[in-house]
Amino acid sequence: MILFLQQLVNGLSIGSVYALMAVGYSLVYSIMNFSNFAHGSVIMLGAYFGFYALTLLKVPFGLAFFLAACGTAGVAVLIERLAYKPLRDRKAPFLYFIITAMGTQIFIDNGVIATIGPTYKTYPDIFTQGPIKIGALDVGRIDIAMFVISAVCLAALIIFIERTKMGKAIQATAYNMKASALMGINTDRVIIVVFALGGALAGVAGVLYGMKYLVYPQIGNITMKSFIAAVFGGLGSLPGAMIGAVFLGLIETFVSGYLSTQYRDLIAFIILIAMLVVRPSGIMGKSMEEKA
Amino acid sequence: MSALLELKGLTKRFGGLAAVNDVSLAVPEGSIFGLIRPNGAGKTTIFNLITGVYQASSGGIAFGGKSIAGLEPYKIADLGITRTFQNIRLFKNLSVFDNVLTACHASASYGIAEALFRLPRFRREEKELSEKAMELLKIMGLDGRFDVMANNLPYGLQRRLEITRALALEPRLLLLDEPAAGMNPDETESLMRLIGEIRSRFSLSILVIEHHMDLIMGVCERLHVLNFGCTLAEGTPAEVSNDPKVVEAYLGGGGSKKC
Amino acid sequence: MEYIQGILILSGINLIAVLGLSVLTGFTGLFSFGHAGFMAIGAYISAIVTARLHLPFALAILAGGLAAGLASLLIGRLTLKLKGDYFCIATMGFGEAIRLILNNWPWVGGSRGWESLGSYTNIWNVLVLDIVAVILVWNLVNSRHGRNMIAVREEELAAQMAGIDVYRYKMTALVVSAILAGIAGALMAHYMTFIQPKLFSMQKSTELTIIVIFGGLGSISGSVIGAVLLTALPELFRAFSQWRLVFYGLAVIVIMVGRPQGLMGGMELTPSGVRKALAAKRARAAAMVDDGGKA
Repeated sequence: MILFLQQLVNGLSIGSVYALMAVGYSLVYSIMNFSNFAHGSVIMLGAYFGFYALTLLKVPFGLAFFLAACGTAGVAVLIERLAYKPLRDRKAPFLYFIITAMGTQIFIDNGVIATIGPTYKTYPDIFTQGPIKIGALDVGRIDIAMFVISAVCLAALIIFIERTKMGKAIQATAYNMKASALMGINTDRVIIVVFALGGALAGVAGVLYGMKYLVYPQIGNITMKSFIAAVFGGLGSLPGAMIGAVFLGLIETFVSGYLSTQYRDLIAFIILIAMLVVRPSGIMGKSMEEKA
Repeated sequence: MSALLELKGLTKRFGGLAAVNDVSLAVPEGSIFGLIRPNGAGKTTIFNLITGVYQASSGGIAFGGKSIAGLEPYKIADLGITRTFQNIRLFKNLSVFDNVLTACHASASYGIAEALFRLPRFRREEKELSEKAMELLKIMGLDGRFDVMANNLPYGLQRRLEITRALALEPRLLLLDEPAAGMNPDETESLMRLIGEIRSRFSLSILVIEHHMDLIMGVCERLHVLNFGCTLAEGTPAEVSNDPKVVEAYLGGGGSKKC
Repeated sequence: MEYIQGILILSGINLIAVLGLSVLTGFTGLFSFGHAGFMAIGAYISAIVTARLHLPFALAILAGGLAAGLASLLIGRLTLKLKGDYFCIATMGFGEAIRLILNNWPWVGGSRGWESLGSYTNIWNVLVLDIVAVILVWNLVNSRHGRNMIAVREEELAAQMAGIDVYRYKMTALVVSAILAGIAGALMAHYMTFIQPKLFSMQKSTELTIIVIFGGLGSISGSVIGAVLLTALPELFRAFSQWRLVFYGLAVIVIMVGRPQGLMGGMELTPSGVRKALAAKRARAAAMVDDGGKA
């Protein structure tokens, strides 16, 4: 029983980080209707930004998050302006976006390897005290931090989207970009905001990941998990992405806990494929018929 | 004349909205039949239902006496129903010739192996396809521009090419979706003559969706009027244009959904 | 000389995989990010045939190709009905799944890989297979089957209306591309004499797709030139190791933004191909002058 609860806690904490990643990715997907494969690189940069903020600039913990998020938001917007906007202007088929995204990912990932180097880096210990005891459970402070920070960020995002004017503009654009533009919404600005938000979330996720594990240039590979989570929850649906991510985190943790870590990644892909075959629109996605 | 195409109580719902509501009509063999609507959506939906793009919520479609409900679009095309599209869907990056040549594929029967190894049957049938495509282009007056990329054709000729492509499959029923869209009176005149010629030359039946009154009145022998997805009237153009319900729907516009 | 030969062999091997992917992506319009998975199947099956069953190399190549083809039948069954985006993700998922399964399978070496495979691949069999592959793909594309695939790429709905069984043609393209990828994998295994699941990662799949796009979608000559250039150049710059990938990524962005139609832009580098391109150019100019065509 203890093991189960322990795994539950682990699953929730990694799931919450997946949620940050998946929501950022889903946000961009809902507006642009394409999978931003460069998202992983932005997450990775977030981990590095946070690392340098803590070690070089020696800023406090909270500020590191903030700086990393700002940095990644900026990078995300830069990518959009330089790599995606020209394609959008040209009304290129969406698959070209994917190729460009991949090129961006290769560029950034290897740029980091070539400049900073491939050696792993570890975050300085944030929490010097030991784990908190809840009943008979040992809950790591980092896990709590991951869960809480993710929850706060996601709550803030939801409030932003539901309550603010820009948030409503984002919803409208996600629903129908052309109509929104005709209604006077500056869709270009909406796109910038969406990329900035997605990038910021990615930054926070990157820092959390780096805190819990390590910092290395291939962190971006984890972005596959966010796709799987987003697909599972329904591409383009934010609540779906969150649910999908937590679910994925839980399943992964239970599988590695009870079976073996070898199968952890494989199970994620099996879920993906099963989902695509059985219900491609995901748990909460909408199915669309093509207008002839 | 027997009915080539029969719709019986055809209904298609999208969520709560019935785009097509209990529509029944019969297209006689060899006729030019028109489908018009003053208000509401649903015209292209009917075409999509007939060609198998959408599945009906209820009701039946019979072609040549046999039900075609639930068949895949390509099978329906094989059976003899082809169409053009409201927003032209040519193979834009292919030449005029290639657009038609591609559509001629059903007239050949060589398999992949014969294609891979260039066996005699491949060579023979390819030659036949080529000749057939060129012949068709000549009839439709497009042979002079056979190597122009479809995208670079003037709009009127693009529409003509789409019709040519649809004819390449030797259909028994040709569905034309707003063929006169965007045309000036001269072009519409030519199109009307073309439709009449096609019908006699290729011995087929034509079902036209249009809202261009000149074309409808000028070329259709029978009309079926839809209003908000429901049948409003049916008859010859003269009968329909004098029908008070139709006049009111066209002049009155908007308002409540009447069925 | 040995060095140049090595580069040519690698280019030739990539060429076969690229040709296959060209059929799927360039001509049928389906983007797959899991094709390295088919190469992996080809590589490992062929390794089993030579190293475990001790059968001739030719048989191994055949087995590798067929195994990949069979796998693609299954994968196609599951994924071809999905919309474009989902199909991409699904192929990615499959590519990764295959890699992970191989990683966890000790009998074929697991993550450490399988070494000491027979060095059966040489410049001659690669060249012969290259020529055969180019001819067969060319024949396929220039037939009604190829035209149907192109129609699927151009306007899927209109293709359906023109009586083309879209699903069947997508499947055909997938299987052809998988068989070729499998053959390439088999050749690679017996050139490098060492295979490891890491070699068949998503990065490899992406590289293949990038070559197809670089050469120009819908152009066989583009794929040939692209495969040679994009295999040879990075090899020549191997000294700069990490930076070459940086430039590679940058090059992809630049191509997609600047010249997405790739090198050949759908043209073929043959006498008839050049004539066709010139004719189209002339016709385009004439069409612009000729105004208001009557319907």
